[in-house]
Amino acid sequence: MIEARHLTKIYKIPHEKTNTLFGQVLGRIKGKTTYESFHALNDVSFTLRKGEMVGLIGKNGSGKTTLLKILGGIIQPSSGSFLTQGTVAPLIGLGIGFHGELSAQENLYLYGAILGMPRKKIKEKLDEIFTFAGVARFRDMKLKHFSSGMVARLAFAAMVQSNPDILLLDEIFAVGDKDFRPQCLAVFDEYKKQGKTILFASHDMEVIQEYCERTILLNNGQLVLFDETSKVLAYYKNL
Amino acid sequence: MQNLKNKLNLVYELSRLDFKLKYYGSALGLFWSLVKPFMMLGILYVVFFYFLKVTIQNYEVYLFLGIISWNFFADTTKDIAPGIGSKAHLLQSTSLTPAVVIAGTVLHSFWTFFITLVIFFIFFFALGLHLAISAVMLVVLILFLVLLTVGVSLCIAPLYMRFNDFGHIWDIFLQMLFWATPIVYDYKVVPISFSKWYLLNPITRVIVDIRNAVLYGFFPEPKQIFITLAIIAIIYFIGVFIFKKYARRFAEEL
Repeated sequence: MIEARHLTKIYKIPHEKTNTLFGQVLGRIKGKTTYESFHALNDVSFTLRKGEMVGLIGKNGSGKTTLLKILGGIIQPSSGSFLTQGTVAPLIGLGIGFHGELSAQENLYLYGAILGMPRKKIKEKLDEIFTFAGVARFRDMKLKHFSSGMVARLAFAAMVQSNPDILLLDEIFAVGDKDFRPQCLAVFDEYKKQGKTILFASHDMEVIQEYCERTILLNNGQLVLFDETSKVLAYYKNL
Repeated sequence: MQNLKNKLNLVYELSRLDFKLKYYGSALGLFWSLVKPFMMLGILYVVFFYFLKVTIQNYEVYLFLGIISWNFFADTTKDIAPGIGSKAHLLQSTSLTPAVVIAGTVLHSFWTFFITLVIFFIFFFALGLHLAISAVMLVVLILFLVLLTVGVSLCIAPLYMRFNDFGHIWDIFLQMLFWATPIVYDYKVVPISFSKWYLLNPITRVIVDIRNAVLYGFFPEPKQIFITLAIIAIIYFIGVFIFKKYARRFAEEL
């Protein structure tokens, strides 16, 4: 279950961005620094039921990733609050924060630690993860030498093995090949049966139509519509 | 409880990551991290013992103990920047928090400190010196040193995150602090008019007490140790306050 209440994220964009202490002091002497407020997310509230897979759509920059990042505990909302029940696994952007200088195997240990799994537990699941991701040959290769598709596979496989209650997915099909998609879809089927909650941000309307009963539409940081998928998709087409 | 165990496991994994990133996991890498303090020891020893004729007894162990204690503090506070920088991507795409990253960096530095401390004691006993019972205080004093290092790290981490030039400022500050701390000389040579301020420096207080406990067989005075603890506690709580207020926000904007 996910419950979001009035989630708002405001970024302050200064007109003259200074990254140095020296520049900051200089700016203070010259006069007040001015900035613009940008509402990446504006008063978003909704409730997802347990065992539900919900689509999340919207144009680029509409706040999809910001919303997922807040729910995943990666960034903090400027105001508002949210409630999640069970363990949450976010899969946002490429490779869930893998480190390029580490080998695939070492990255999995680190990823496991971040999700709260001890080394021993990951070790037991290593083979399964590598087989699922189809990169078993490259387990000792540094991740920076992986193709982006391979990284995405590995990330998805690791996430599946961590067996979370809530999944937050952001554009996971963007770099995968033709085999990756059905593999993910099979996992979705399985997870829906197990009663896991999935929030799925994508531009892939086919998958959303097929797998999500309900869909959230964001526009300019605001929740425009949260209803049956077919209604939302029809509305989105005309937006 | 389970949560704490997970956190500790994560800190351990992060310190391994730091080690790998710094030395690419090679055994030779660790060797390089030990070369620095020994070069420093050699150079300062030659200059101050042979050229400037410092008359401190057992100057080699005196200097050694000062340098490794100082290096733990200085290296950790310098490593905070690459420690966070190398994990910027992790901070922005996982639920990893800056606090855990700092803890990992401190643990990584502590390993190096611990190894140099072991080498110090091998050296110490090889010279035929003996430990007094007061050496047990070393455990407490190291704890003070760690607490102080964590406190200062928490204070400066948000500054590192926000300002690209903070590293230069901190470098200059550390250089000043190095000479304002009795590492190569005895604090008794400091003029009386200075000493009131001079002794407010918590690193000075800890290093002087460490030497007293290990080299000279004195326990620190209870009143003095209390003052040291108070200074360190103040720095620590200021650090926690600043860090809580700014760290997560700045980490989002790295």
